Amino acid sequence: MEIRLKHLTKIFPGNPKKNIPDTHAVEDLNLTIPDGKLYALLGPSGCGKSTTLNMIAGLSEPSSGEIWFGDEDVTDLSPEKRGIGLVFQNYALYPHMTVYKNVAFPLTNLRVEEEVKDASGNTVLDGEGKPLIKKRKLTKIEIDKLVRETAKIVQIEEYLWRKPNQLSGGQQQRVAIARALVKHPRVLLLDEPLSNLDARLRLQTREEIRRIQKSTGITTIFVTHDQEEAMSISDEIVVMKLGVEQQSGLPQEVYNEPANRFVANFLGTPPINFFHGEIKDNKIYVGDAMVKEIVDKKLPDQKVTVGIRPEGIVPNPKGVLPFHVDQIITQGRDILIQGDHPEETRPCKFVVDAFTDVKVGDIRCDVKPHKCFAFSLEGNEERIA
Amino acid sequence: MIKKNNWKGWLYLAPIIILMSVFTFYPLISTFLIAFMKNYDYQVQTSEGFTFDNFGIVLHIIPIVSGNAEPAWVTDVIEYAIPNTLIITFVTVPLSIIIALAIAVGLNSIPKFQKIFQTIFFIPYVTNSIAVGMVFAVLFDYKGIINFLIGDMGSPWIDQGAPRWKAMIALCIYIIWSSLPFKILIFLSGLAGIDKQYYDAAKIDAAGRFKTLMHVTVPLLSPQILYVMITSFIGAFKEYDSVVGLIGKPGTDAGTNMYTVVYYIYDSIGRNQVDYASAAAVLLFIVILAFTGIQFWVSKKRVHY
Ligand SMILES: Nc1ncnc2c1ncn2[C@@H]1O[C@H](COP(=O)(O)OP(=O)(O)OP(=O)(O)O)[C@@H](O)[C@H]1O
Ligand SMILES: [Mg+2]
Repeated sequence: MEIRLKHLTKIFPGNPKKNIPDTHAVEDLNLTIPDGKLYALLGPSGCGKSTTLNMIAGLSEPSSGEIWFGDEDVTDLSPEKRGIGLVFQNYALYPHMTVYKNVAFPLTNLRVEEEVKDASGNTVLDGEGKPLIKKRKLTKIEIDKLVRETAKIVQIEEYLWRKPNQLSGGQQQRVAIARALVKHPRVLLLDEPLSNLDARLRLQTREEIRRIQKSTGITTIFVTHDQEEAMSISDEIVVMKLGVEQQSGLPQEVYNEPANRFVANFLGTPPINFFHGEIKDNKIYVGDAMVKEIVDKKLPDQKVTVGIRPEGIVPNPKGVLPFHVDQIITQGRDILIQGDHPEETRPCKFVVDAFTDVKVGDIRCDVKPHKCFAFSLEGNEERIA
Repeated sequence: MIKKNNWKGWLYLAPIIILMSVFTFYPLISTFLIAFMKNYDYQVQTSEGFTFDNFGIVLHIIPIVSGNAEPAWVTDVIEYAIPNTLIITFVTVPLSIIIALAIAVGLNSIPKFQKIFQTIFFIPYVTNSIAVGMVFAVLFDYKGIINFLIGDMGSPWIDQGAPRWKAMIALCIYIIWSSLPFKILIFLSGLAGIDKQYYDAAKIDAAGRFKTLMHVTVPLLSPQILYVMITSFIGAFKEYDSVVGLIGKPGTDAGTNMYTVVYYIYDSIGRNQVDYASAAAVLLFIVILAFTGIQFWVSKKRVHY
């Protein structure tokens, strides 16, 4: 089911008496989250990701704007009527219940609608000739079946009789997903589900989330501040900063064509390198070195910030860009080089093939044009080339 | 090294050990010994040897040896003290816990006036229980406001001639009222420690208010509930000052129909029957011990730390 956020805004009121200003946690957010896709909300801490998610879940009321699930306006609907599953930032499993009871709990509150049948199995009609519908609770047997089915999907069958505190972080996370999935929600919301896990488990669990999402086909929104996580498993991402959307789209697209300096900086490890530069005669310069020729449009001469991705700098004795190499860090598959350039805004990092021959000292490098961007110095520091 | 400094540790502990020896251990042991002494004389501290009879006499199983006509007090325990204490315990403890829990949960969900109400509910706790008893005595006076409200002017609740069951109702209401503040305080502090996310989770899971209370709040509050339960059961078994505070004497007739076990023990000492008082105290001790043991045992399964 497609989710649309229209002009969604959340303002936490401050206190004028004590000079505490309002917090604009989310500002005029417009998003369309496609049906059946894994969508990532990405941004640094405090940018309003959890707030957005809580509004979609119905736990927090928007200050203005609308939330649509398909063609239903759910803005004023209470959380239990929205048909969502939510995995909390720290799971919030009920500590006193076994895994089984945790997963079964949402089902015990569920009411299913059913046509009333008479003794011979015929549908009973109501006064207007329509089938009579009655709501009823799920039976123990139905609940058991659903719990076991879901437990199988997230592979927690062996732990059903344990308490949450007897599980590892990764197992708890799967239980939390099971609890969210068991009632077959229309939407699955995950709030930084991997932040409590160690690096290896994080990798493994994110693959698992991807697998579960694919196999169930539930529209899923995934909140994270880890760009790598978002890039690697989501179908589409949106990058936020201080409550404002910066850019959304396919992960690779956003990486390759960042809308502004913030997005370029936020995506990619190691992060992009920034230099003071300028545009002259439709060419981008860092110091005296011409690093890229702009071909698709004509830009006026101006000072800019030049961003070059770490993989866009290639050592070459005849290259245009001089560097002073401080440190060479071997990372197995490739080498991370840390170096300085007079125009840099922070120490540069670039990644080269493990067999490249580099030594500490002065070197020269080439720049791959498609890994090189120019950002305006004004306003939101949009990318202009 | 450790051995050398050992005396220092004992020195630090000495004050408390001496105080506890004098005021706790010595009386405790004496009580147990006296309970098994035949015709113990308190003034000269003599007895005629070991016996189980004191328990029998207290429970009115064995007739007292002296004289043919039995004094009135021999049936006090079996007819009044034990039934009254049991009624007080099993009525006031569950009711006060449920009411305190309801008030605490209610207070917790209205953050706006929480502080004011918290103060109001806490006032009885900082007020002298005899003073509160006097207020209740005025309320339950035969021409008091309660009778005025129920339109039964002149029929006594706690005054001379009141039926035992009516006095019991008034007493239980008074006990529940004065035991609420402490319980509410404990529950409020427990509630403050429950992560709000569990309530968000329960909302997402579509659990209603009552279900959330029973399946989330109560289990997560179970350590506090157990603590309150055990301390209030012990307190209720030892109820005494509330009778004094409300009624001022052991009964609404000429006799002792409002006796509790501790009231009986107290009066026995007054009659110079320290041996019977000790026997009753030992019985009470055993009952409380057993009851507390059962609660701990049951709670192993039900309390979630
Ligand atoms: N109840 C609240 N009252 C006032 N301000 C709040 C409240 N909740 C959140 N905020 C503010 O709103 C902003 C967004 O918070 P939010 O929790 O959505 O951030 P986040 O993107 O989820 O961050 P993180 O990655 O650290 O979880 C923050 O500046 C935060 O201080
Ligand atoms: Mg958050």
